[in-house]
Amino acid sequence: MNSWPSDFRPVTVGIGQLAVTADPKVVLVAHGLGSCVGLSVHDDVSGVAGLVHVLLPESEGRVPGEKEPARFGDCAIPALLNAVTKAGADRRKLVFKIAGGAAVLGSANNSRFKIGERNVEAVKRYLKEAGFRCAAEEVGGTSGRTMEVYGGPAGKVLVRTATSEAKEL
Amino acid sequence: MTVEAAEQALGILDRVAIEGAARAERSLTELMGQEIRIHAPQVRIGTELDACEAVGGPDTLVLGSYLSVAGDVTAHVMLLFPVPKALEIVDLMSGQDLGTATEVDDYARSAIGELGNIVGSAFINALADAAKLILHPSPPLVVHDMANALVTSVYAEILQQGSVVMIDTVFEDGNGNIAGLLVVAPDPECMPQILEIVQ
Repeated sequence: MNSWPSDFRPVTVGIGQLAVTADPKVVLVAHGLGSCVGLSVHDDVSGVAGLVHVLLPESEGRVPGEKEPARFGDCAIPALLNAVTKAGADRRKLVFKIAGGAAVLGSANNSRFKIGERNVEAVKRYLKEAGFRCAAEEVGGTSGRTMEVYGGPAGKVLVRTATSEAKEL
Repeated sequence: MTVEAAEQALGILDRVAIEGAARAERSLTELMGQEIRIHAPQVRIGTELDACEAVGGPDTLVLGSYLSVAGDVTAHVMLLFPVPKALEIVDLMSGQDLGTATEVDDYARSAIGELGNIVGSAFINALADAAKLILHPSPPLVVHDMANALVTSVYAEILQQGSVVMIDTVFEDGNGNIAGLLVVAPDPECMPQILEIVQ
């Protein structure tokens, strides 16, 4: 059940991946975020939008692979900032939104599956350290989410679950 | 876990997987009254994407069950079916005509939970026997969500500690249709212990 019109081109942003677009006919999609976190960024003047799909909060010394620069929260934010500014976004215009960080298996074992919560905390913390804040969020809970980020000046961000319609974040 | 240890673990889990699949196949065939085939399971250092492809892609809505395993070692077991296939299985399990179950209600959830118990136990017992371990599966948690959200949440849990060594296997019914996906993954920190006992 995709939300985008048929003439739009979806770009899947898999685990650890980062994508940037300024094309108003492109939608960046992070499918089925469970404990993972999607962080979007948009600059409405240049129309540049970006999305990262974070798996774990901290790299703890591990170096993310070239194709997965956003695997860890601490590496994801500098990588995203770098990519959108390179694409022409103005650092002062950036608006960030977060989705995901659910505990989809939460009730199975309370001491485990806290990663969703930790991912959200980490992403917000590293965002703050970089001098930004999060403008909107749809996080926590027990349902998986799909996040869609549209390129171009409008820069719409939609979030949907398996059972709910897409809503704008 | 080092790469060598992970590769060694793959070999051992291979044998466990084959035995687990044989046990699960017998239980299911008996239960369903029709032959259910479980493909020779693949044991590998897993990636989340191919796991999701097996049930129809990351956004596919699945119904299934999750068991956490405690005892001498800890592990995760997850059995997932695309919803239409899960409902077919509910009909088969209850001896109803196909098409009787049309929604994910309490009855369907309870049947799929029971199925997770049967299949999960077959694999957990195979592992317990091979490695002479005492293992206790939790009661099944029935899950109904996007495939990717479920699979990656288990992966994230495991990846905190090391590589994911997992058994995943595809189920096939009498008509050769792909039915579902089973993921069995011991916690990486337990692998050295399993290796030591088995050798």
